[in-house]
Amino acid sequence: MNLSPHFYQKRWLIFFLVFVFVGLNTLLAQEAKFEMGHKMTLLVIQLAIIVIAARFIGLLFSQLLHQPRVLGELVAGMVIGPYALGAISLPFLNGPLFPKGPGFLPVSPELYGLAVVASIVLLFMSGLETDLPTFLRFSVVGSVVGLGGVVLSFFLGTLIAVLLLPGVNSFLSPAALFLGALSTATSVGITARILNERRKMSSPEGVTILAGAVLDDVLGIVILAIVVGISRVQIGGSEVEWGHIGTIALKAFGFWVIATALGILSANRLTRGLKRLRSQDAIAGVALGLALFVAGLAEVAGLAMIIGAYIMGLSLSQTDIASELRNRIHGVYNFLVPVFFCVMGMMVNFAAMKRILVFGVIYALLAIIGKVVGCGLPAYLMGFNWRGAFRVGAGMLPRGEVTLIIAGVGLSAGAIGSDLFGVAIVTLLIASLIAPSLLVKSFEGGSGLRKETLLKKEEAGCRIKLEFPSFHIASFIRNRIIEAFENEEFFVHRLNIDGMIYHIKKEDVFITLHQKEGMIELSASEDNRALVSLIVMEEILALKDLFEAVQKVKKPEMVCEELASGLLSDEEEKFN
Amino acid sequence: MNLKKILTSDDIILSLSASTKKEVIREMVECLHQRGKIEDKEAALQAIMEREKKMSTGLEKGVALPHGKCEAVKELVAAIALKHEGVDFGCLDGQPAKIFIMTLSPLNRSGPHIQFLAEITRLLKNKEKREKILQAQSEEEVLEILCS
Repeated sequence: MNLSPHFYQKRWLIFFLVFVFVGLNTLLAQEAKFEMGHKMTLLVIQLAIIVIAARFIGLLFSQLLHQPRVLGELVAGMVIGPYALGAISLPFLNGPLFPKGPGFLPVSPELYGLAVVASIVLLFMSGLETDLPTFLRFSVVGSVVGLGGVVLSFFLGTLIAVLLLPGVNSFLSPAALFLGALSTATSVGITARILNERRKMSSPEGVTILAGAVLDDVLGIVILAIVVGISRVQIGGSEVEWGHIGTIALKAFGFWVIATALGILSANRLTRGLKRLRSQDAIAGVALGLALFVAGLAEVAGLAMIIGAYIMGLSLSQTDIASELRNRIHGVYNFLVPVFFCVMGMMVNFAAMKRILVFGVIYALLAIIGKVVGCGLPAYLMGFNWRGAFRVGAGMLPRGEVTLIIAGVGLSAGAIGSDLFGVAIVTLLIASLIAPSLLVKSFEGGSGLRKETLLKKEEAGCRIKLEFPSFHIASFIRNRIIEAFENEEFFVHRLNIDGMIYHIKKEDVFITLHQKEGMIELSASEDNRALVSLIVMEEILALKDLFEAVQKVKKPEMVCEELASGLLSDEEEKFN
Repeated sequence: MNLKKILTSDDIILSLSASTKKEVIREMVECLHQRGKIEDKEAALQAIMEREKKMSTGLEKGVALPHGKCEAVKELVAAIALKHEGVDFGCLDGQPAKIFIMTLSPLNRSGPHIQFLAEITRLLKNKEKREKILQAQSEEEVLEILCS
């Protein structure tokens, strides 16, 4: 068969094309493999530097400067980030350690992804630690105070953006909304630490702050959902109508209310299911997995992931496995959360902030005024005197994780630039640095109450006090009592604060055990008096048995002599 | 705590024939044994008597809570018994005991034991409830009054 030269030309062309295609493909695959390998290497080295720097600077802040560790972690991020030391090119990496990422974020998507996972763990833990009964008990006064702070802070935040920021001329512009939302959330961690140190946690001011802060966080998260919704529409180029805002708000609030109600209602059933796993580690693992899943669902529903994580934590917070979950997740939390704060610190662009320095100062000032006045005034109206109202306002000042998450979401969505992000972080730092000294000073002086108010002192319940002749005997009995509760399938959790305070929990039973030197005190509701009394009684009876049994064995001196004899005998004597 | 998951009307003795502390305990153990809830009744009896030796479980207001832990049971078992005339049980207030709640739990297994006793104690704090239980005409009525 004769084939034309044209055909041979064509065949050669096809052969050439196939060769080029296969060659290029192999080359690209190798390139991609190399690219992927390089990215992962960079990520691992970045993580190593972040973990070490966050630990060191965090410790420096907490131990030398006596400031919260999170502030140190944020500063660590600022120092090693892409706008500072991280921008220096390193020869073995063929570039800087923290190269600027694509899009609005100054860090790589991989690193930001890790920070997002950390924020989910953080908010899941916040939800687990939420003291829902205290919030509900003081919900009236707490809600009024929290709401006052949120409304005024949000209003002042958006107002200053509209008045002073170029290009922002509407209260509904994404930048204004984000600056408003950033002012709302309160971080109760710093305040709780100070209140605890000063033994003011259960004072009227203390419980009002705690209840108000819970509402603040919830409102902050819901506001974030609404702001994200509106911003997405605006950044997409569409006009936002009031009806649309209503829909977004309703959706966010609806999701929040329904998911929380469902979560709390099904928590006990879920807990029973989890307990079937018969392994505390497995329970914690599955619970964390569920938190990630619900976080994902919230994002699918058009809300922020942290809402889902917080709801999951809040739902499980009142179950008897909550303290065990907190214990088990603590390791993951301790590793990931400093990464989150450090990555957030990395996003602060000092050069960009210079442009809006005046704005930043006014914004920080108003953010502080917004909280002190916004929370203090309703507190005054609810029956505190000016001193008490100032205490409440100062206690609501610190900003924390929710503020950072809102800022991070705003930055990644392009609603705020790196300059405004920097302003938000610096405001957070200033507010958190001022709050402790202000709060300590405010608690000097007398009562913060003006008159008999809605605030009622916490119910005393029952208190059982046991005095023992020494710390060691008291510790022995304490361990026996704890073991007895564990045998009754109670969950016992030692609080991570100084002193020996234990929370003992099962379903709706909640008991606190506190040991101070030779004294053990158990507190519970009046309903659980019989349970506490009977358990303690049985343990004391068992102890009596134990002492009697020891006396029957041998004289302790004789046992000791037997144990001590022969300790210094040499080898030969032993063999002889 | 759901008491009806642990107690049924079959676990209730409306009128004990016993007239001493030991007889009360034996009769209640016998009842649980006959219902197949206790394998070794002597072991169960010994566990309860051991506990009584340490300190009487007779509380106040005519209520006693004889209890113990032993290998004779596979899970928490309980019985309620009444003796209208009362029995000297070494109660704290010196009064005779009329309402007896017995509990036995496995020795080396975790689970509610004291919690069950505490729940019953909490319910029997109510004077009206105690009186109604003593006036009850049937085992079912006792259970209903206790759990209501």
